Amino acid sequence: MKHEDPHLSDQQLLLSLEGELPARDEKLVRAHLDACWACRARSKQLDDTIAGFVRTYRDDLDPHLPPVAGPKALLRAQLDQLSEGGHAAPFHLPGPSAWMLAAGIVAVCALGLLLFTSGRNPEPRGLVVSSPDSTLTPGATLLASRLAVCAQRNVKNKAVPADLQRAVFREYGIQGADPRAYEVDYLVTPALGGADDIHNLWPHSHLSTVWNAEVKDALEDRLRQMVCEGSLELAEAQHDIAANWIAAYKKYFHTDHPLPEHAGTNFR
Amino acid sequence: MTVLHAKSDIDHRHGHERLEEDVVALFERFHAPLLRYLASCGVPFPDGEEVIQEVFLSLFQHLQSGKSRENLAGWLFRVAHNLALKRRHRIRRDFDARTGAAGENQAVDRQPTPEDQVVSAQAQQRLLAVVRALPEQDRRCLSLRAEGLRYREIAEILGMSLGAVSLSLSRSLARITRSAER
Repeated sequence: MKHEDPHLSDQQLLLSLEGELPARDEKLVRAHLDACWACRARSKQLDDTIAGFVRTYRDDLDPHLPPVAGPKALLRAQLDQLSEGGHAAPFHLPGPSAWMLAAGIVAVCALGLLLFTSGRNPEPRGLVVSSPDSTLTPGATLLASRLAVCAQRNVKNKAVPADLQRAVFREYGIQGADPRAYEVDYLVTPALGGADDIHNLWPHSHLSTVWNAEVKDALEDRLRQMVCEGSLELAEAQHDIAANWIAAYKKYFHTDHPLPEHAGTNFR
Repeated sequence: MTVLHAKSDIDHRHGHERLEEDVVALFERFHAPLLRYLASCGVPFPDGEEVIQEVFLSLFQHLQSGKSRENLAGWLFRVAHNLALKRRHRIRRDFDARTGAAGENQAVDRQPTPEDQVVSAQAQQRLLAVVRALPEQDRRCLSLRAEGLRYREIAEILGMSLGAVSLSLSRSLARITRSAER
């Protein structure tokens, strides 16, 4: 260690504070600090700066960190998917298209995460539901490629199990209503890779609303057609329908109101 | 439908499940540190989430192929750093398109709430301003150190020498200290 300068450099002081000095140098620094008030004060100042930086760094970012639950669930789903693909054969890293697909799914889930901020226990609300509550139903998708989605022959939504339907009604505060007045609908339809998950389900009212389930069905058909024709990315279709299906309808049908042929029996 | 599995298949599946649990546990532990680090590198949270998913899928592959479990924290930050660099061009382009403004310092899109403004002390704001004005590599060193990485790990992640890490940190802290004295 050089001692031309009577005082230790910031670098030497920092290395000592950090426990990064070799034992011999550390001993010399300690001896100097014992004797030098100025260096001790500087060392304390650096230590305080570190503490201030760490506090500010955390305070600046931590309040904005999204919760880990959603990304963790997504990771599990992706690991399961890898497991299915790699079970019989050695594990292979997904190719670029799989990564792009995963990124699209993450984007939809990230959107959900942004919206999913306050748990799933809302106050009871009105019984006419034409748009999902984004905190309850942010949307969820499966790890499925465009080819896999478009290869599905049966694009009808499968029936939602009764207990899951009850859970959806319960979380939306709908009790004692006639279940026939609602369709427990997928926000992102399985025909577009939507998941069979409560975060992707909501009670879509058949009653007294212009934006009813029949209108949404028409949007789903349109998006699927565009995705399978290659004129729309699957991830973009999933994102748009999850973010605001009514806005998506207006965007893809170029209209502010449901077209008469889509409005079904309720739009009369 | 009943599916019968051979014993080797079942063992393989159990091994996979254990590995998955390990990876998920690490994900829980490092999700926030990695997201903070990526944010401090100018990667917005949604993009950071995507990077982190890729990191942990790679980790799964890394562990499944029997590679070393030593210093996984360093491994995670290194892979996250490399992936973030690869994506940065797109992230910047998208961000510039969204905001019409260039500059990575603003890349984490956060609106300060009135509470934030009240709570944030002037000194804290000044410190943040100094940190944001630091050279990119110095900022990364600081963030990695704040996340608990040792000098050797930081050097590996950022491809620097140990001496360069030490110099970077002392230089940055000196700047921050000077700004606090003003």
